[in-house]
Amino acid sequence: MTARQEPFSAAVTGLGLVTAAGVGAKATWHSVTQETVPGGVSHQAELADLPCDFMYTIPDLDTTELLGVATQRLMDRFSQLAVIAAREALADAGLDPESWDSSRVAVVIGSAHGGLPFYDQQHVAMAGRGARRVSPKLAPLTVVNSAASSVCMDIGAQGPSMGVATACSSGTVALGTAHQLLRAGVCDIALAGGAESVLSRLLIASACQMKAVSTRRDDPAAACRPFDAGRDGFVVGEGAGLLVLERPEHASARRAPVRAHIRGYGASSDAYAAVAPDPEGNGIERALRIALADAQVQGRDVGHVNAHGTSTVVNDRVEATVLRRVLGDHPLVTSTKAMTGHALGAAGGIETALTVLALEQQLVPPTANFEVPDPRIPIDIVRTEARQAAFDCAVKTSLGFGGHNAALVLTR
Amino acid sequence: MNAAEVVNTLLVQRFGVPPADITDETALRSLRLDSLALEELRVLIEERLDIDLDEVSLTPRNTVGQLVAAVDGNVPA
Repeated sequence: MTARQEPFSAAVTGLGLVTAAGVGAKATWHSVTQETVPGGVSHQAELADLPCDFMYTIPDLDTTELLGVATQRLMDRFSQLAVIAAREALADAGLDPESWDSSRVAVVIGSAHGGLPFYDQQHVAMAGRGARRVSPKLAPLTVVNSAASSVCMDIGAQGPSMGVATACSSGTVALGTAHQLLRAGVCDIALAGGAESVLSRLLIASACQMKAVSTRRDDPAAACRPFDAGRDGFVVGEGAGLLVLERPEHASARRAPVRAHIRGYGASSDAYAAVAPDPEGNGIERALRIALADAQVQGRDVGHVNAHGTSTVVNDRVEATVLRRVLGDHPLVTSTKAMTGHALGAAGGIETALTVLALEQQLVPPTANFEVPDPRIPIDIVRTEARQAAFDCAVKTSLGFGGHNAALVLTR
Repeated sequence: MNAAEVVNTLLVQRFGVPPADITDETALRSLRLDSLALEELRVLIEERLDIDLDEVSLTPRNTVGQLVAAVDGNVPA
């Protein structure tokens, strides 16, 4: 049986984005709405000769300049991206760490792989030069929760904090968890989303063996093509996306502009396979229906979906079928991954921030690289250019390896 | 590069210590080096000079000068 309670609308008051489509929420939004050729994807020396030798990265981001050596040395790159996004989100929300009740500030950040690159480097050090050359920082830099603890230290947040690890739905589950913490009243402010940076030869070599990633080596900019008939796998990207959420009375008491609300959250597990989604999509359907019920909205109320849309053959077909079954054929669906890459555990954070912007601007970003419709995709994919539309309610869906499904319902 | 130069360079480049803050009498903890940072510094010095500091006891209360002397004592003449 389902315990029904009144919907809880967490106020979104700040956004922070660091993605391969742009540094800053404004730059990323500009790219995903105004451009249709991704500029952030390129061949990587680290991946030379692999069947997938390209990735979405943020090469011009000077983390040392932004963070300083003393702060940066205690973080692997995914945590650095999280801290940079957190600072932007806080500034955007007009929150001042000098004046808030820091014990009421929570931090919840998802990541699939955490500090895998540092783990990888230290393994090389041990194999080549012995145990006495291994860094003592392995555990603190590589654990998935280190993005959350790094952000806590940087902004002085002293409420509950945690990492969330549900593979590619981590960012969305982190936001849903923050929604629940706010609803339960254990914090007034939550900084939540996801962070990922895995330019790792080891990981991508394995993803190639799994046949999960695109092998369109001759044209990386065209490789990630969500929902397109010619899609052949996802393309990994690095990035971070964090949102400032507040209890609504906290936001209104300080007269903070509210950019949108997170009103419903649903999560489920396929209990089916280590990698493949349930072929009927029952798991993501359940998560979506729970989120709609939590928000007390109907499928017909949903005007826009920022889909998981990874550009794998199976994900896109299963997800599209479920969106059609649950919501109908009217919502304007997009996948922004062709512009950002698949940022794995950060994806849900980045894409929920983009969904907030879509609600605010009443503008749905196009699905870059979507050229040839797949007859098995029964939904309205926004293509070619951004589409202006009137909608008060939007949905973000995420699916993760291991069968971790999550959905958020956002309202204006 | 002698021990003092190696230590100073690492403190500046790898730990973000302002060069002007480094004197022989400065305690390592006042340069924001905690016990984890000292263990990291130990590995970096060993790597850079190809020496073994395993027997050297280091705490954040030690000064830069004491650290340099301990490194010097382990550098083969």
